[in-house]
Amino acid sequence: MSPNGQTRGGKVTASDNLYTVILALAFCVVLATAVFVAYKCHFQYDTIFEIP
Amino acid sequence: MSTLTKILIVLLTISSIFLCGIVVTYVANADNYRQMYDDQIDELNSTKADAQNDRTLFKKESEKYARLEDKLRSEIASLTRKFGDLKATLKIVEAEKDDALRRVNSWAAIVRDFYETTDEHTQLLKNTLAEKIRLEAEKEKNLKELNELTTSLEQKMAVIVMLDEKTKLLLEEKSELQDRLDKLLQPIGKRAVATTPVTPERAIARPIIPETRDIELKGLIKAVDLKNSMASISIGTAAGVKAGMKFHVTRGDDFICDIRIIDVDAEEAVGVLELIQKQKQPKAGDNISTNL
Repeated sequence: MSPNGQTRGGKVTASDNLYTVILALAFCVVLATAVFVAYKCHFQYDTIFEIP
Repeated sequence: MSTLTKILIVLLTISSIFLCGIVVTYVANADNYRQMYDDQIDELNSTKADAQNDRTLFKKESEKYARLEDKLRSEIASLTRKFGDLKATLKIVEAEKDDALRRVNSWAAIVRDFYETTDEHTQLLKNTLAEKIRLEAEKEKNLKELNELTTSLEQKMAVIVMLDEKTKLLLEEKSELQDRLDKLLQPIGKRAVATTPVTPERAIARPIIPETRDIELKGLIKAVDLKNSMASISIGTAAGVKAGMKFHVTRGDDFICDIRIIDVDAEEAVGVLELIQKQKQPKAGDNISTNL
């Protein structure tokens, strides 16, 4: 896996690290969403998993 | 890394971002049901408290209105009684008003008659005043005539006095001549006879002596006050007694005294005793008369 672009059959392609970064970004987005939802639940209902 | 894996990574990332955006948007815009629940609970409690207060206030107001109603009922009953009394009073007042109106009409008629009578009297007074003025003028005229007649009478009286003096002189001369004639005729035993004048003698005018008539009032003494020399008699103005009259008091054929009347009533008179004798004093029952 090279950080630079790879040339496959004469075409320029992105390196694999880029997809890793995209995947990490997706993970961060999901994590931030989960944290935001947890914060809102705790702020509004004083609990995260129980039904008040 | 295969192409499929890459595509899946890209799709996963895009879908994750999309779904997370939807979730974040939903959670951010979701309602706070707990807060709403608490608000509703608070509102419910507040409403219950208000309802309780309203019930308490309603009870108080009901009691107050009940008391007020009782009071108003009693006032209505009182006012109804007063209304009845006022109706009766109004009837009485209306009757009095009618009576007063009748009186007013009667008085108005009387006043109209009074005014008419006053007008008649005023006219009569004017006529009387005119008559008085006319009579005063006539009186002035008569006074002038009287003065002229008095002057003429005085002149004639002076002439009469002068003629009387002449007559006296003539009578004296006549008596002297008669004496002389008697002296001349006595020696021959004759006397002169009074000659009758051819012309009848005129008599001198003399005032007519007024004819008198006795009053002839008679009565009795009612009471005597010797201390003040007063006596009351049994006749008064009804019988013709007047102040200043003199009554003679007699007892049988004896004269007692006189009474000079000073005050006269209808059936009685009072006078002063005069010419009282010590031996014969007047007493009640003695006869009185104006003429002896």
